[in-house]
Amino acid sequence: MKIKNYYRLPSGVQDLLPDECYNLNLIEQKLAKKFSLSGCTQVQSAGLELYDTYAEIKNKIPQKKMFKLTDSDGSLLVLRPDMTLAVARMAATRLDDVPSKLCYFSSVWQYPQTGGLSIREIYQAGVEFLGVSNPFSDAQGIAFAIECLEEIGVKDFIVDIGHVGFFKGILEDCALNEECVEQVRLLINAKDSVGAQALLLQQGAFESAVNALAALPTLFGGVEVLSRAQKYTTNQTALSALSHLKQVYELLKSFGLEKYISFDLGTVKDLSYYSGVVFTGLTKSLGSPILSGGRYDNLSDDFGKHVPAVGFAMGLKRILITLERQGSLLPVPPVDVAIVSEPDAEALAYQTYQTLTAQGKRVNLFTGDHARMQSLKEQGITLLLASKEGVKEI
Amino acid sequence: MITVALAKGRLAQESAALLKECGVDADVVFSDTRKLVLESSDGQFSFFLVKPSDVPTYVEYGIADIGIVGKDTLMEEDKDLYEMLDLKFEKCKLCVAGFPEMKKQLTSSHLRVATKYVHTAKKLYAARGEDIEIITLHGSIELAPVTGLADVIFDIVQTGSTLKANGLAVLEEVYDISARLVANKVSLKTKADVLLPLIEKMRERV
Repeated sequence: MKIKNYYRLPSGVQDLLPDECYNLNLIEQKLAKKFSLSGCTQVQSAGLELYDTYAEIKNKIPQKKMFKLTDSDGSLLVLRPDMTLAVARMAATRLDDVPSKLCYFSSVWQYPQTGGLSIREIYQAGVEFLGVSNPFSDAQGIAFAIECLEEIGVKDFIVDIGHVGFFKGILEDCALNEECVEQVRLLINAKDSVGAQALLLQQGAFESAVNALAALPTLFGGVEVLSRAQKYTTNQTALSALSHLKQVYELLKSFGLEKYISFDLGTVKDLSYYSGVVFTGLTKSLGSPILSGGRYDNLSDDFGKHVPAVGFAMGLKRILITLERQGSLLPVPPVDVAIVSEPDAEALAYQTYQTLTAQGKRVNLFTGDHARMQSLKEQGITLLLASKEGVKEI
Repeated sequence: MITVALAKGRLAQESAALLKECGVDADVVFSDTRKLVLESSDGQFSFFLVKPSDVPTYVEYGIADIGIVGKDTLMEEDKDLYEMLDLKFEKCKLCVAGFPEMKKQLTSSHLRVATKYVHTAKKLYAARGEDIEIITLHGSIELAPVTGLADVIFDIVQTGSTLKANGLAVLEEVYDISARLVANKVSLKTKADVLLPLIEKMRERV
């Protein structure tokens, strides 16, 4: 017999059933309020875009990572692979007066890079603070990330901060070719000092630069990392990255947020995409980041306008898993009132339903199904019986 | 509590010995038990003994905070995690081996490479721009060139005695392999208070 499986889903995508969806909605409501209170306006971008939008720009998304489709005229389309690029495109090409803060709730689709963690449709909430590039706007972005995680009730989290300028500066001193830079970045990002050192020596990089790069994977921890890092380099780009981080830290400290902050100069995310501060939200409850962001001042240049920006996105599925592990998810609450209508009392039942919902009560309406009543009563729902004699509680 | 994934077998014993030297109560790893989760008597550490190729998976997902496994397994599994230390034990080499003189063939075909390191071999030859045919085997890889199933093998070589006994030789030493300490990317930060001093102690000892 042929097994019927046409109703299954492709791998890496999921349905959300009522209990999960209810909790997702609670998170979205809290975030939407938070975003609005801090002056963010919401945008939505198209889910289908032209392949060229992401392939012709300087900060290309690797072709292998994008879901591609063919349009009816033969041109290549993609499912939106990244929200930050989509917002940068909108800000540069569609908005004359760039508002200072945009936010979104949207999905992105990407083929996973490595074997594990195979979710391919990622639902995110995020913000982009546009137009300003200074330590204060970086601190504001990081502070807002902390506010958001607190607002939705995530416990025991830290925000781990780095700066791509430190790594870029040290690389300047190495004079490596582009391909080699990418290899080194991947090794440093995996904290593989052994591998990075071997590669650099093989490429004939200067010893001082090799030592600095080999130390990168160990340069993480509290704020003392910044002074520790200073000893490894005399490069101006690297040093100014450190002093920038110091300023951001002082601001966060003055906001009273230093307890959430740790540093990692070995976080070297995509170099062409990020231009300054990078940060990641981490919690003990989950082995992968729940929030990721940074500064990307040159991202919109490819779309014809220079709009400096700092922003972050939260993976809402990962946040749901975190909240569940921390015991903070709620079951869907039952309705407040159930009205059971006897035959010929439907009009009265419906009228009662309208009156009650107008008062903000959540109401379910049944006809004649007395068998269900006992179980409703057990759930603590107020039961009303509508009959020719009127409405009475039972 | 810190969770540790160890590769079953000799590697686990050596790893536990190193952890003990660094002050971790790892005695439980040496006990003869069928339990899958072994908790240290002080309740600070919990060990999983798993197949070597599963160590990176447990660490990537953060179920284990740290793990100890061979570099060959790390390259083959290619997971997103931090490689913290070269522990310098269980050393060997990942090599291409075959008959010292390959038989000349008139019919041209792809180089046939027999290996259990399928992903690593694909990456290696792709980086060199060579088209090869990978023949996946799970054991006694040396048999493949001897019986004509493959031209060469890509496998770990410790002493080389099996190769020699079958008339084969190492053609190229490609990677140096040894045991590595790996860490979950988030745990390293969120459990830094315990993990960083431990890693420092291990660094001093290797």
